[in-house]
Amino acid sequence: MAGFLYMSDLNAPVSPAIPAVGSNSLTYAIVVRCGSHQQSQALSAFQFTKEALLQGHKVLRVFFYQQGVHIASRLRVVPQDELNLTALWQQLSVDHELELGVCIAAALQSGIVDRQESSRYELGSDSLASQFTLVGLGQLAAASAECDRLVSFGGN
Amino acid sequence: MSCLMTLTHAPYGSQDAKESLDIALVLSAFEQNPAVLFLDEGVLQLLPSSQMPSSHKHIGKIISALEMYDINELWVEQESLDRFSLVADQLSQTVNVIARGQIAQLCAQYDQHLVF
Repeated sequence: MAGFLYMSDLNAPVSPAIPAVGSNSLTYAIVVRCGSHQQSQALSAFQFTKEALLQGHKVLRVFFYQQGVHIASRLRVVPQDELNLTALWQQLSVDHELELGVCIAAALQSGIVDRQESSRYELGSDSLASQFTLVGLGQLAAASAECDRLVSFGGN
Repeated sequence: MSCLMTLTHAPYGSQDAKESLDIALVLSAFEQNPAVLFLDEGVLQLLPSSQMPSSHKHIGKIISALEMYDINELWVEQESLDRFSLVADQLSQTVNVIARGQIAQLCAQYDQHLVF
């Protein structure tokens, strides 16, 4: 995994995976607890996940919790010269069929709702970005039980 | 799969303590046997509190529910207690007190380590 912090071009199209050799392939679960305003930590989470996938490792699920849920908002407007982490995660999810789970309790408190929750609470609109799914904390527990490595970013 | 959770946040002032304890409860519900280490301001979560801000859930109630969730392995760092002039007898739960120098060994006993 050496070198994952030194990716030069974040927007480069995802190239075919370089398969990790046999027994070196690991299953990861990623926890993102920092919001997009904590740019470097939130970015590290993305870079780590992308590089793990590119090297042929499996990522069971990315779980967004605490401040991390803000990344799942489709209503964020990012200055043109800054990275749009929401879009980066969405693209990575499309390219690798990566599951992006967002803690539903934390999301609802922060105004991140999907259509179902919006109509349940009669909120009038929804705000969850595509590719992201609202899930319970149990999905984090399940992922942590199944993975070889649980890697958490941000939060402190 | 065993997990050590290190909690470093004071009980109130943010949602951090509550959100980390939620994870402990869910991990236990999924039979992952979490142990909890209270460190730094995290030790304050173990103080018996009669008053709490109305804007927050009562952390003491969650702490006292840990046992019901079969989370019986609670650790507190000695140096963190010292920092707040506390002794283990003053805490709301029965805990194991551990010296800072032993924490690396403690961590090594678990498959996973989550720090909040």
